[in-house]
Amino acid sequence: MHVKNVLGDKKAILILLGPALLVYTLVKLVPVFWSLGLTFFTGNPLGGFEFNGVGNFVRFFTDPQAMSALGFTLKYAIVISVGQILLGYGLALLYVFVLKNASNFIRTVVFFPTILPTVAVALLFKSLFAVGDQQGPVNAGFQIIGLESVDWFATGDGTFTVAIIMELWRSMGFFAVLLYAGLLDIPDETLESARLDGASGWRLVRHIVIPLSLPVLLSSVVFSANNTLKVFDTVLALNNGGPGGETTPLTLYMYRTVFSYSDYGYGSTIAFVLTIMCFLVTLFIFRSARRDNTTA
Amino acid sequence: MTTQTLPPVTAPRGETTPSKPTRPLRPGSLIRFVKRAPIRVFLTVLVLVELYPLFWLLMGSFKSQSEFTSKPTWSLPESIGFENYVAAWTTGSIATNLWNSVAVTVPSLFLMLLLGVAAAYALEVMVWKGRNTILLAFVAGIMIPGQMILVPLFTVYFRSGLTSTLWPLIITYTVMGLPLTVFLMAAYFRAIPREIFEAATLDGSGMIRSFFSIGIPMMRNAIVTLALVQFFSIWNDLLIALTFTTKSSLATVQVGLLNFSDEYGSTQYGPLFAAISINVVGMLVLYLFLNKQIMAGLAAGAVKG
Amino acid sequence: MSTAFVGRRKRAIVTVIAGMGAATLLLSACASDSGSGSEGGGGTDTATAFSLLTPAENSIVRDELGVLAGDQCVAEDETLPLESETVAQADVNQKITLLASQDALPVMFVAGTAQVKPDGDLGKNDLALDYEATLKELGVWDNILPAAVSTVKAAYGGNMASLPFQYNLEGIWYNKQIFADNDVEVPETYDELLDAYEVFDKAGVTPITEPGSQGWPITRLIGNYIFRSVGPDAMEKIKSGDAKLTDPEYVEAAQAIADLGTAGYFGEGITSRDTDTAYAQFLSGEAATMYMGSWLLANLNNEEENKIGEENVGFMPFPNVEGGAGDSSQWPANAGAATAVSSKAYGPKVGDWLTCIAENYGSSVLANQGVVSGFKVNEDVADVKPLTAEIQTIVTDASETVLWFEALFDAKTTSDAQTNVSLLITGQMTADDYMNQLQSDLDQAQ
Repeated sequence: MHVKNVLGDKKAILILLGPALLVYTLVKLVPVFWSLGLTFFTGNPLGGFEFNGVGNFVRFFTDPQAMSALGFTLKYAIVISVGQILLGYGLALLYVFVLKNASNFIRTVVFFPTILPTVAVALLFKSLFAVGDQQGPVNAGFQIIGLESVDWFATGDGTFTVAIIMELWRSMGFFAVLLYAGLLDIPDETLESARLDGASGWRLVRHIVIPLSLPVLLSSVVFSANNTLKVFDTVLALNNGGPGGETTPLTLYMYRTVFSYSDYGYGSTIAFVLTIMCFLVTLFIFRSARRDNTTA
Repeated sequence: MTTQTLPPVTAPRGETTPSKPTRPLRPGSLIRFVKRAPIRVFLTVLVLVELYPLFWLLMGSFKSQSEFTSKPTWSLPESIGFENYVAAWTTGSIATNLWNSVAVTVPSLFLMLLLGVAAAYALEVMVWKGRNTILLAFVAGIMIPGQMILVPLFTVYFRSGLTSTLWPLIITYTVMGLPLTVFLMAAYFRAIPREIFEAATLDGSGMIRSFFSIGIPMMRNAIVTLALVQFFSIWNDLLIALTFTTKSSLATVQVGLLNFSDEYGSTQYGPLFAAISINVVGMLVLYLFLNKQIMAGLAAGAVKG
Repeated sequence: MSTAFVGRRKRAIVTVIAGMGAATLLLSACASDSGSGSEGGGGTDTATAFSLLTPAENSIVRDELGVLAGDQCVAEDETLPLESETVAQADVNQKITLLASQDALPVMFVAGTAQVKPDGDLGKNDLALDYEATLKELGVWDNILPAAVSTVKAAYGGNMASLPFQYNLEGIWYNKQIFADNDVEVPETYDELLDAYEVFDKAGVTPITEPGSQGWPITRLIGNYIFRSVGPDAMEKIKSGDAKLTDPEYVEAAQAIADLGTAGYFGEGITSRDTDTAYAQFLSGEAATMYMGSWLLANLNNEEENKIGEENVGFMPFPNVEGGAGDSSQWPANAGAATAVSSKAYGPKVGDWLTCIAENYGSSVLANQGVVSGFKVNEDVADVKPLTAEIQTIVTDASETVLWFEALFDAKTTSDAQTNVSLLITGQMTADDYMNQLQSDLDQAQ
């Protein structure tokens, strides 16, 4: 058919798709395979490469710093994702059920920090929690209520705590809006009829609202996991992944290995592990979601 | 018996009314007010928590170095002078950073949208073999972290002599944004019934003309939304910018901020806060104009992504 | 879908993957080329400006070169103008690797210690100029003090890879007034030092301050203890494998410094304290001592910064460790951070600059900033301040010098030593674990 021929017009396809596909292949796909190749070598362009077989992979699993980075990546991803979803969902419920039409102002205010450059936010929080001669409001506040000031950045746990507070402060508004949009999709009639049946408050939320907002909750979890696994700027700017390597995720460890220790091969191995992790986590979440949907 | 009573809905949900609906005073309204007091307290605390750090930042940007060391941290500045801002703008090169960020973001956005929308059109609207595989290839790219392609790209850019320009950034950002763009636009295109395009071809229009005359206009809203989403993605990127900027004259906003305290070599909070404030206020202005679009766009991007 | 169609799709996919595989092989073959030697510069000037990259935390070199550019070297500056940029000390390795791989090295730049050694990335590829050969060619080689030459070569594995813009001794600067107020005498042994610190701590004075956020000031203390207890060749033994960092004598050093930290002698917020804050603490009388190099003279001679007064400041060597094989007359010496010149960027104009620097820097930096360098002082400098004169005497008389803890380490070990030390002094990492990590890094680097 003529229409089918036009819709399948090879020349048009080439012109429309060609540039994107070409650039994409050259700049994204080929480098991925190149990087994969590098994982079997050690060295750098300056000093030359040496074939190493699977040595890098073996090294990864016996390298305490790599394992620590892996552990931190997971720890950060889980804690922040859970926090983002919980706080975001709580706020979304607030917007929908308590504030209703007046929620616009609050939504706007709470969302704003999301668009700020992450380095700016990290530097801000670094000063907010500073200790010593130029201490920040947090420690000053502690001293007013009689507590001792805390050197947050001297310990891994302290730095992690600040990182959590900072990231949740920054992104809870985003997830609130995201989940709010999902909650809006729940038809009024469903809620009304549930209320008529006597469900209200917490029971309404638990039995009606949550199940109906599962799709958007799932998307949010995937989105959140994808981003938190790749955290880089915030931990770098906050305390340089420190103290020591306590808040260094795989992304930062890879960057250091390549550019500070000049081992491109091992660095590519770390990047590869990270990529696999992203794939696996996304796959895992999707699988468990599909199982939920079919059994629900 | 639950304690929560929900007031009647007077306007369709999701719409914004600038003021609360007025209600005649009723005897139970005092009780309702008291019941809502904890909510109001909570909301006040919430707003304070969100805004105080920014307020503190702004106040700090007007302080001089001695005020930081000698006076308590929450004191208000002695005077609203702009010396810190001037210092940040010139010595701290915030002006250069902003310019670089703009010079990188605008072309990347343009290219990414042009190539991505066209690709999505070809993949979704047109019918041919193998399109699903290629679409899958694009979508898989969403999960690939920048780290995986950093090292090879870096070698290639050096080889082609591009390293003292902004081109590595532009090319990389364009390509990093393609997967999401293609994915979202394909989803949007899927929502359009194919009959519209078939009708156009019956009128004698080729696919490319249909693209420009029908495809893009229909997608205008989606494109704007997507542009906003990707704008923030690029503007706030650090990894790519940090790797490919060889000179400080090429640094973007995030890289500039990171190096800022190093340039000054010490905790010169004043200019640092001024630099951060410039960024924050800039974003704020953008946000006030576009906040609905931004919120909707980022939400849509995440849900479909 | 018909099976034939599926077959075609499969074949298409296979072709694409094969193509990418081929491309990958081709490209990686090209990648190994970039390591193969650089064409020596030498003949012509490729640089259009005298681009200078120095550490942000230390402004001595760029300030002085700026002065020279306006004064003695104004002619050279006109042909090749000075353009100065900074990088955080902690980022030097990273920055130089990035720049070197993109052929974007400045004319003169600060480099990581490991990088300019013969087996380092810059050294291997002849990217750093050999100053000895070049300066001899230019006829200005004898402007470098012999002591400086031997320190530089010792630090960089035999390469004259850095100009001795600074020639520094390191020791413990102390506040004479605080010592007098508390009836404390200058300690000669480490135990006496600890006793003194205890006295200061009780009196409410910070016993010792350091720029903890930099890491290296603390690792210096560890190194000094090792040199005093094991002897001046302690780190050579590590490098040659005759000893390991996990040996008890070495771990004891880490433990001693860890104890300083856990006793709170460094004061609050040590791990995030930056250079300016630490200097300010010492120069305002808040802290009794600070281990630092003689480059502090620049700040000590600055009347605005030095609030306790020059007469009040003393300089003592790191004390002996009882029963140790080292001696406090063995001053730790260094020639500052490695400042190399890019061999690719070298040309006649750069050579002119180098000549001007070699002939004038020594007297200029002594006169302007009161800093002792490794260059000859060609013009007599009047009014040398007493502290500076004191240091100059020690420099001239010093016979045996030692290096520093990380001097012979590779990049990763150095980085780990400096970043993990904050965990060590806050009690979050044991001395055993600290040394274990470093030793395994060293083993890995072999």
